[in-house]
Amino acid sequence: MPVTVEIPKERWTGSIREVTLGATAEQGGTRAKTVTVGGETTLPFLHFEGEMPHTPIVGIEVQDSYPADWSPVLLAAWGDVLNDPAAWAKKAEEIGADVIMLKVRGADADGNATSPEQAAAVIQSVLQATGLPIIVRGPGQAELDNKLLVAVAEAAPGERLALGLCEDKNYRTIVAAALAHDHLVVASSPIDVNLAKQLNILISDMRLPLERVLMDPTTGALGYGIEYSYSVMERLRVAALTGDGMTQQPMVCFVGEESWRQKESRTAEGVPAEWGDIEKRGITWEIATATALLESGADIVVLRHPETVDVVHETISKLMAH
Amino acid sequence: MALSGLQIYKLLPKTNCKDCGYPTCLAFAMKLAAKQASLDDCPHVSAEAKEALSAASAPPIRLVKVGTGAREFQVGNETVMFRHEKTFFHHPGLALRVKDTEDAGAVAEKVKMVNDYSVERVGIEMTFNAIAIENASGDPGTYADAVKAVRSQTALPFVLMSDDVDALKAALDVEGDHKPVLYAATVDNWEAMAGLAKGKQVSLAVRSQDGLDELADLATKLGDAGVEALVLDPGSRDLGESLAQVTQLRRLALKKNLRLLGHPIIAFAGEVADTEEGEIVATTQFIAKYAGIIVMDRFDPAVAYPLLTLRLNIYTDPQKPISVDPGIYDFNNPTADSPLMTTTNFSLTYFSVAGELDGSGIPSWLLICDAEGMSVLTAWAAGKFDAETIAKAVKTFNAGDKLSHKKIILPGHVAVLSGELEEELPGWEILVGPREAVDLPAYLKQL
Amino acid sequence: MEETAKQPNHGAIVVFKPSGQVVEVQIGTLLSDAAVEAGLSLNLPCGGQGRCGRCRVKVEHGDVSHRSAARLTTAERQEGWALGCQAVIKGDAVIFVPEQEQVEIEFVTKTVGAERIALAADFKGEVDPSVRRAYVAITPPSLDDQTTDWDRLLRALSLEHGIREVGANLATLRDLARDLREAEWSVTAVLDMGDPERDTCARPRLIDLLPGDQTGRCYGVAIDIGTTSNVVYLVDLVRGKVIDRASAYSGQIQAGEDVISRIVFAQKRDGLNRLQKMVLKTLNGLLEELTSRNQIPASQISKAVVAGNTTMIQLFLALDPKTIREMPFIPTIGQPMAVTAEELGLAINPRATVDCLPVVGAYVGADITAGVLASGMHETDALTLFIDVGTNGEIVLGNRDWLITCACSAGPAFEGSGVRHGMRATAGAIEEVWIDARTYEPTYETIGNLPARGIAGSGMIGLLADMFITGIVDKAGKIARDLPTPRVRVGDHGGEYVVVWANQSGIGTDIVINEVDIENLLRTKGAIYAGFTVLVQSVGVELADVEQVFIAGAFGQYINIEKAIHIGLLPDMPWDRFHYLGNTSALGAFHSLVSRAMRHEVFEIAQKMTYLELSADNTFYDRFMSALFLPHTDITAFPSVMRLLKEREG
Repeated sequence: MPVTVEIPKERWTGSIREVTLGATAEQGGTRAKTVTVGGETTLPFLHFEGEMPHTPIVGIEVQDSYPADWSPVLLAAWGDVLNDPAAWAKKAEEIGADVIMLKVRGADADGNATSPEQAAAVIQSVLQATGLPIIVRGPGQAELDNKLLVAVAEAAPGERLALGLCEDKNYRTIVAAALAHDHLVVASSPIDVNLAKQLNILISDMRLPLERVLMDPTTGALGYGIEYSYSVMERLRVAALTGDGMTQQPMVCFVGEESWRQKESRTAEGVPAEWGDIEKRGITWEIATATALLESGADIVVLRHPETVDVVHETISKLMAH
Repeated sequence: MALSGLQIYKLLPKTNCKDCGYPTCLAFAMKLAAKQASLDDCPHVSAEAKEALSAASAPPIRLVKVGTGAREFQVGNETVMFRHEKTFFHHPGLALRVKDTEDAGAVAEKVKMVNDYSVERVGIEMTFNAIAIENASGDPGTYADAVKAVRSQTALPFVLMSDDVDALKAALDVEGDHKPVLYAATVDNWEAMAGLAKGKQVSLAVRSQDGLDELADLATKLGDAGVEALVLDPGSRDLGESLAQVTQLRRLALKKNLRLLGHPIIAFAGEVADTEEGEIVATTQFIAKYAGIIVMDRFDPAVAYPLLTLRLNIYTDPQKPISVDPGIYDFNNPTADSPLMTTTNFSLTYFSVAGELDGSGIPSWLLICDAEGMSVLTAWAAGKFDAETIAKAVKTFNAGDKLSHKKIILPGHVAVLSGELEEELPGWEILVGPREAVDLPAYLKQL
Repeated sequence: MEETAKQPNHGAIVVFKPSGQVVEVQIGTLLSDAAVEAGLSLNLPCGGQGRCGRCRVKVEHGDVSHRSAARLTTAERQEGWALGCQAVIKGDAVIFVPEQEQVEIEFVTKTVGAERIALAADFKGEVDPSVRRAYVAITPPSLDDQTTDWDRLLRALSLEHGIREVGANLATLRDLARDLREAEWSVTAVLDMGDPERDTCARPRLIDLLPGDQTGRCYGVAIDIGTTSNVVYLVDLVRGKVIDRASAYSGQIQAGEDVISRIVFAQKRDGLNRLQKMVLKTLNGLLEELTSRNQIPASQISKAVVAGNTTMIQLFLALDPKTIREMPFIPTIGQPMAVTAEELGLAINPRATVDCLPVVGAYVGADITAGVLASGMHETDALTLFIDVGTNGEIVLGNRDWLITCACSAGPAFEGSGVRHGMRATAGAIEEVWIDARTYEPTYETIGNLPARGIAGSGMIGLLADMFITGIVDKAGKIARDLPTPRVRVGDHGGEYVVVWANQSGIGTDIVINEVDIENLLRTKGAIYAGFTVLVQSVGVELADVEQVFIAGAFGQYINIEKAIHIGLLPDMPWDRFHYLGNTSALGAFHSLVSRAMRHEVFEIAQKMTYLELSADNTFYDRFMSALFLPHTDITAFPSVMRLLKEREG
């Protein structure tokens, strides 16, 4: 007697919001194309029970000045373009970025503080160098972020940049800038389902449409809290699919930044022999972090190493094929 | 189906006699519901209740033991789809595959590498768990010799891989007492495989070539034939399709209570990928998603270490309070003159303090003490964040070495500790900071 | 450390101004301890941890060292201000003690509160106290019958009342010959019959022997030892009625406002004994008030039943509460054995039994077992939620079949601590606030209609609710700084809202609520709401299944249900499901005093109650985080608030 197994499907009632980054000339911006994420009606890559209308995408991190503090593995992989954000962004586009994540540091390598004018200039030069949509992040200090991101927002009206990080401390300023100059925000909260949801509510209360909000539940790298990010993202995704309207934002993970700032991906000398080769170890660190977070619901992974970009692209295309 | 605490309580004697070691029947029932107690602890439970309860408490996914002795490992017994629902219990065994067609010296080298590999993280020794030996030669004698040779090199458990019953029989003759996993029963050989596995009391993997229907069919037949310990290979070697299959299997076992598919899963990362990076990706997926045994074809410490770390992370109990590692954290490139603060390792405490310090732009050090993941006031109330704890952390992490001064700033909520801390840390000046993290930047500026 | 041996052979002379007391103490003595020795009482609301800054004194001359001066500004330190609990005497000194905030003896709102108590103070069941009076007319002894006095009394009790195997202590025996003869062999024996159901060896015990027939009256007291206030009911044990009641703030407040601070205080030198003396002083004061007002001699009070939280019970019995505070949080005893008033120093008949009601866990005490008894939730079919809102929020869920309980450390925000202008519900405290949604102008009521001095817990709930509904604070509790009103401004702790301008306040400064205050209020309400949700989840039911909610505790009766729902302190359900019970702890003690059956029931309740330790996993933390929002992260759980917010938006 042949056995027939009924494939168990969840009847999800909710779906992820579709969020479009960037605006073409027609839409009031200058991007060559826009990119849309979200829209899922099932858990990551479970095509047998629901839709994933948009492929998860890869962002590449570009900084406004030379990242002297980066892992030597990264510095070697990128070479000279690191000195010029425009060249760097162009290169990132060539090697397969779907979006550019421009990080405006608070100061250059010599410690000179970045002025709002400089921030405005750098976004303009990157906009000219690439046709890709852009996520812009400030240095991560609420006051400085406000100053620099407002300048960036003003300098690129209508471009539908994703401004981050928009946190509970400064969301009013960032959201106001996004509203005034037609941008998106990256809502960032520290590894907690409730805090993520609360921030979405506060942002929505300011009347920014949730179709312009990406969610960053804080990335923990492999070995540094990835299990928290993994579970918070799974919980957020399950809540979203169960119909909780305030958790239905696409998620962005800053995988490269977190993976490459750990001892394991920076240190070649004086570490146990069991850790193996630094370059392979560092890249594996980033690949494993990115893969696990894609499987728990990331819609955008922002990476640093060119080799990881290839691997993650291939992984996504395999997982999307069905 | 799992019963709630109240449902179990209704089946208990409700005498609150405390003989089970819990203060009330309801407390015991809730422990039973959480699978943290055994019904055997209640000496007064009725036979009917016992029957009803043991049916409900049988694990939806069978526990399978692989190997013997110190390197034995267990897989299965999982109870949730998502680790946040409770926890994942038995992390997947990682195996490296060798073939009986490979040069014996090359095999010995690989086996030695896997056998000896052990790497420490947060005090835990992480290792690979098994060697998979494939009968690629197709010859039973060659295979048995290869198995015998590897056994002489390691105590790790084996996955014996061949579709040829004779080859596995020959291998089992030399390996049978070490409880290997036999791989695999298929539509073509299941009867003979069942006999073999039953005879040697070893677990048997079953491979479907045609999806879950065939898998269920085979599992039913093997069950009927008396093989209890099964390991499932749903068959796909496609990354996305594998994800769907393992998810479906876990759901069928947990949510549909389909016992015949309630067994651990074996996955072949090396077969899913054709590159080393692809194998890393596949292994990552199988660690996160539901595999019990993962067979890899490549071994490199630079890959093994990250993957073992991922396994450790994913199989950490999420019910424990979220904490950060104790130690000294730096903000805004501090120097020896920068101030040193201390607080507990509760994650939210850390994040609120770190957020303020980071955001202030002021270079500073933060000493995180092990307060068992509790916030400042809770930890203080429970006696877990006291002068002794702080002094110990200062010494353990050599805080003094980083500084040109000897000053430490306490959270304002535990100002009371300053006197005692002076005694515990002779020569240190104890400063009392603000009570709320939000007031830290202002405090540091006026310091 | 600085050399302190300048005066090797004697201590330091400390003069306290303005009172002028002089005291000699050892060098190294804490200033606050020196003040105690001088007979002064410095307020130590935080238990002497240097956290609250209310014990500040000015060092006019002499030398002290500061362990901590967290609550003082640099300027204040330079002016000589010091914290009494953190300053160590280094030599002779002159200390100026500013006027202390008075710990008020009376509840100003006593009458208002009493009216709101829903449960009647009369006991409806069968009056059957353990204390009974038996009149016997004894045949005097003669040469023919030389039976001893004691056996003669026993024989009479046995023959006339069937009371056998009576015991007595030596003190009773010493008075026996005289008492019997002075009463000319007609006496009323006052006996405590014990609880044979609980203790099968229980024997009746002779407490007192009164001349003539005095069976018409018999008294006992029901005592509730709260962390903040103590209450004594004087009870007529014959009729089962409360004759009178008296209450006062706990004398232990000077040793700390919350139980943890008291436990810390108990670890100080002689701390435990001092705390026990403080509570006895308060209780004996109340007993004195009751006996003199009702003209009943203290010796006529033959029984005391005591309820209180676990720490209060242990301090009352002078059992070191240290292990209550430390993991795994273990009280010394669940059901304390009966002791005599004499052993404790309680000012009633020295041979009277003092019976403490049972506790369940470290933070679910006899106040809760007594409360459950008084509420009757243990004998109803309806799924009932019982909440005692105090410094700790204790919660019980269940019905006649089962009871489960937990305690959440809500923090004392509703009792005035941790909120800049918070205060207890005494004269001048703002009790109710309403805010005009257009002008953002508040209207408020104070206790006693006096100029406002601060905000009471009920006032904070009302204030926060209206600030939220009118949009002065957002859902995260942050103040909208761009509102067109001078009442919203930026202060030392971020945004703040001025409730009372200085020229209208009773303290000469503006009364404000700031973002840090609001954060503390959110934590308090969040902890309580999280407690409900964890309890219901732990047994697999839903909050919506709860058929009635009992709100107990002295503070509970002032809660405005509607506003408490607006801020997410109470679950959003029809108001008719909420019932105020008032001080159920005292009520339960009263019921246990007048009825042995009830006394037995409270014992059974304690046996049956399952204590859920919230620190055991992170479920509570998760629920807590979701409750740290107005009204809650999951707003769909608060449909009435959703509707209101929609209306506000128009």
